[in-house]
Amino acid sequence: MAKQSAERLDHRLATIAKIKNAQRLVAVDQEAAARGLKPGMALADARAILPGLRCFAADAAGEAATLAAIADWCRRFTPLAALDPPDGVMLDITGAAHLFGGEAKLLVEIETRLASQGFAALAGLGPAPEAAWALVRFGKDRLLPSDCAEQEIARRLGALPLAALRLDEKTLADLSQAGLRRIGDILLRPRAPLAARFSSSLFERLDALFGRLKTPISPRFEAPAYLAERRFAEPISRRECVEATIFALAQELAQILARHGEGARRLDVSLFGVDGTVKHMLAGTSRPLRDPKTIARLFREKIEAASASAENDPLDAGFGFDVLRLSALAVERQDEEQANWLAPAGTQDLADLIDRLGARLGLRRVTRLTLVDRHWPEFAVTAVPASFSPSAIPPLQGEGGRAAAGWGTRRNAESRRTPSDSGAALRCHLPLAGEGHRPIRLLSRPEPIETIASVPDGPPVRFRWRRVLHEIAAIEGPERIAPEWWKNEAPLTRDYFRAEDSEGRRFWLFREGLYETERPRWFMHGLFA
Amino acid sequence: MSRAKPQSAPVSRPQPASFRESGTGSERLRLLRSQIAGIEAANLAMLPSGETPRARIPLGHTGLDRMLVGGLKPGALHEIVAARPGDHPAAASFALALATRLKAARNRGSIVWIGEDFAGLEQGALYGPGLAHHGIDPACFLLVHAASAKEALWAMEEALKCRAPAAVMGEIWTAKAYDLAASRRLVLAAQKNATPGLLFLAGLAGADALSSGADTRFEVGAWPSAHLASAARRLPLPGSAAWSIRIAKARAGPTGFDRDKVHPVFWTEACFRDALSLPLAAIPGDGPDHPAGEFGEAKRRALGP
Repeated sequence: MAKQSAERLDHRLATIAKIKNAQRLVAVDQEAAARGLKPGMALADARAILPGLRCFAADAAGEAATLAAIADWCRRFTPLAALDPPDGVMLDITGAAHLFGGEAKLLVEIETRLASQGFAALAGLGPAPEAAWALVRFGKDRLLPSDCAEQEIARRLGALPLAALRLDEKTLADLSQAGLRRIGDILLRPRAPLAARFSSSLFERLDALFGRLKTPISPRFEAPAYLAERRFAEPISRRECVEATIFALAQELAQILARHGEGARRLDVSLFGVDGTVKHMLAGTSRPLRDPKTIARLFREKIEAASASAENDPLDAGFGFDVLRLSALAVERQDEEQANWLAPAGTQDLADLIDRLGARLGLRRVTRLTLVDRHWPEFAVTAVPASFSPSAIPPLQGEGGRAAAGWGTRRNAESRRTPSDSGAALRCHLPLAGEGHRPIRLLSRPEPIETIASVPDGPPVRFRWRRVLHEIAAIEGPERIAPEWWKNEAPLTRDYFRAEDSEGRRFWLFREGLYETERPRWFMHGLFA
Repeated sequence: MSRAKPQSAPVSRPQPASFRESGTGSERLRLLRSQIAGIEAANLAMLPSGETPRARIPLGHTGLDRMLVGGLKPGALHEIVAARPGDHPAAASFALALATRLKAARNRGSIVWIGEDFAGLEQGALYGPGLAHHGIDPACFLLVHAASAKEALWAMEEALKCRAPAAVMGEIWTAKAYDLAASRRLVLAAQKNATPGLLFLAGLAGADALSSGADTRFEVGAWPSAHLASAARRLPLPGSAAWSIRIAKARAGPTGFDRDKVHPVFWTEACFRDALSLPLAAIPGDGPDHPAGEFGEAKRRALGP
């Protein structure tokens, strides 16, 4: 199947680009082609043939984007749609044609729908990707049904010119010099002499054309594991309708998922607009999910989040959507859970909350803190998206559970060994001596401060931070933290101080650099309780 | 301490047939009471290990608990504001201490912390090692970063409607977004499953003019910690955290309570210590051989009751 895009507003159009130091035509519309203009022709020659030719600069990126949009839109017919640049889209319609009333009707539907969007497109169908490619470009009848007899296939494909084999120009010219013009000419000849004289790729292409050699297509998107979809005779555009449809689809999907004992981790709603636009809404979950209400609620949050920017028309429906598809992109095994009404307030509840907040605010905005075994203050902790970590749900409550709540420090390694002990026992452990104080809040980057010290290399007695002067009433330090020198570009050594000002505010300051070697600077890094 | 009258009796409960036929007012009242008692008993049976519905959660600090009539109400909203412009870190950490306290009392696993991005830029992000150092388990936090105050309030409302979190903490910079209607929404959400909400208004300093549906408002300031003498007559060493707390609003407070009274509270005091899930870091002079809160006690005695 291939398409050739053309402008519909006016006739005699061509796009031009500079090729081999001359302005040449890249693409021409039908009327110009009928007058003998061809891609590759020099612009001067073309103007001589057709003085009224209107030219536009070729926009390769724009064309590629348009082609990608068309390929995405084609996913309404089958999930497997691949690009076939520069001007084609390849669809794998295995098992999908009957949904549209057969292969012939499918081709007609594709052509009419694309024509209504303003594309001059041709659709062809064959038993192999190469055959479809050849038929749509060179065939008189572009449909070669899959239930054809072998002789019929050979006859139809044999009638095509050799150019349909996608050979390079030299081989093609050599073949025509030898008097071979159609595919049928080489079909019955012995292979070895021809391969020796021309190129071995000749027969590879021939086998691919007849489907004897598998030539896989590479779809733009992986086919989802499970999907449910609705098609509408009249497009829908109202938000309520879309939400209700998503809920109905979620119910269908839930049944499929339940039958396979699986739950969705990533879900996608595709909205296919009648004008050829495709909208996607992606939602991730923190655990395998198949409850239709929860799924519908996730997408309601998505729509709600979109409505913050566009109040009236959050979906940007345009002329409406005629196909809605809910697909589970990633699934995981999900076993039925036994209801336990004695269990404390559900972890399920929390996972739902994580998903809902993630759907509205973005999954990366819902995080948990994870300690990292690095001593440099900025790197000692990372925020991990709550929905990505496999242990998104903390262990159950209770003293033991609390102690074992996945806090992998040395400090807790001991306490974790005795999870059955009560909290009182835990509190007897003292943290390792020599471990310095850490603030409750850490500034995103250290802020420079002005300090006044009584002795040059001593701690400050007062400092100015954010234009406020603080008199230091108590100070503890230094705690020297050396950079990770085994890494490249290690920063300077820091001497940290814990300081309290006269009003009782506590700060974490540091001096960057050593007195002996560098000129030190002071920074504010964190705030204590 | 359970209250005799529940805040909201379920409305759509099927009424017993005898209710409609009952004649006199006192008879009707008696019936209603027995009905409510029944509902409360049913709730009790559903709840885990000795948790009573709508019980107040004491802070463990006698002065504060007296003012709050027993402690914080779970299904309500509590506001925290800084007393002066520089006191925001103190107020934020007091809110954290309250959340930890609620978590320990409610026997739930998670604290949902919702912060507006700008507040984080201004005052820094929660720092895991620091939390652990103060005895708060950082793994129990679910952090939600909202781009705006509106989103943060929405997220808070959603979180409050859940049963699972021990407490929901919000940190809002743009105080303009938080008005009476917004606070009422939060209160209603909190009542649904008796999840307590703590709202730290990070952009304000002192909020006496603010009207809201919150149950309590704490005004928190920094307070000098119990200093420890250092060797060689240098500056003393700072102790662990301390706050000055003023209860600016307490809905159920005793009549005529002193709004202007400032309570100094220390992190090491028994009230917060009990709630901490991790051992406290060693502060100089605060080990097993020195009983907890010694210095805090001394200071408080010096300041009066």
